Amino acid sequence: MTTAESPGIGKYVAVYLCLVVITALQFVIGYQKIEGGQMAVRMLTFGVIQTILVVVFLMNLSVENRALIKFISYFMLFVLAAMNWIWTDSFRLLLFRLTKTGPS
Amino acid sequence: MNREEDTVSDAVMGTHVPDMMEESPFAIPSKKLAMWLFIMADVMTFAAFLAAYTFTRNATPNWPRPFHGIASIAVMTFIMLTSCLTMLIGLRAAKMGDKAGAFRWTMVTAIAGIVFALLHIREWILMIDQGVGLFHNPWGTAAFGASYYVITGFSLLHISVGSVALMIVGFRYNGGRCNADDLEVMNLYWQFVDLVWLFIVPAVYMMNLAR
Repeated sequence: MTTAESPGIGKYVAVYLCLVVITALQFVIGYQKIEGGQMAVRMLTFGVIQTILVVVFLMNLSVENRALIKFISYFMLFVLAAMNWIWTDSFRLLLFRLTKTGPS
Repeated sequence: MNREEDTVSDAVMGTHVPDMMEESPFAIPSKKLAMWLFIMADVMTFAAFLAAYTFTRNATPNWPRPFHGIASIAVMTFIMLTSCLTMLIGLRAAKMGDKAGAFRWTMVTAIAGIVFALLHIREWILMIDQGVGLFHNPWGTAAFGASYYVITGFSLLHISVGSVALMIVGFRYNGGRCNADDLEVMNLYWQFVDLVWLFIVPAVYMMNLAR
């Protein structure tokens, strides 16, 4: 039933090393005293890069059927986009709590 | 026997089975498609958890930052990342017909998962010793404990179940009851749980380091 071809081990090791380096960078950033928003953006950027590396190379999505790639990509992008509805409301709630104002 | 009866008879006897079967969606094997669908569903679950967590964290002033050092988390992350590589080495060995190698590397991966789970439980025990429960903690916001245990617990559950599943599939593969395709399906699952952990570490631990 195998549809994905098995690439050489060198490719896997290269991706693995990239993931280790990116994760190490995340730890370095984690220990830096930078503002929370900036840190979140940097962590998310590294997270997106890690996701692409894992899904494309380690889960071998790149060698799968093109229709499957489209199906999974569109679905995942929709889920990740839909997650972002929270931000406006969470900032609104933070403002209310900090200023003690808002609906009673 | 008329033509209609003849068709029914053929179907019952199995002579027209190819006409009755549909093609696999996306032209991939059913087991692999099922795993991709499971992963997509699980992405929604974890996305919901992380969205709820980031909402609460962002909306709460003075969110606790209890982690003074995360060396053990770094070790756990390294173990998980390395287990992904060993899983792929095992899968490659299986595809090349190296049965002993595939079994060996699959077991190495499963053991790495178990070590990770044990270290994770140790982290939980340390947190419990500090007084962190689901609805209370020494630092104020009660939601911290609930979100910490739910997110990391769900990940721990996935990795524990995955380790057991890897052992079962590994032994079945060694006994000739599973093949390389089953290991490929397990590889998809294992890479996914590793990826989830790579998101949990920054969100739960690094963003909450004590300053």
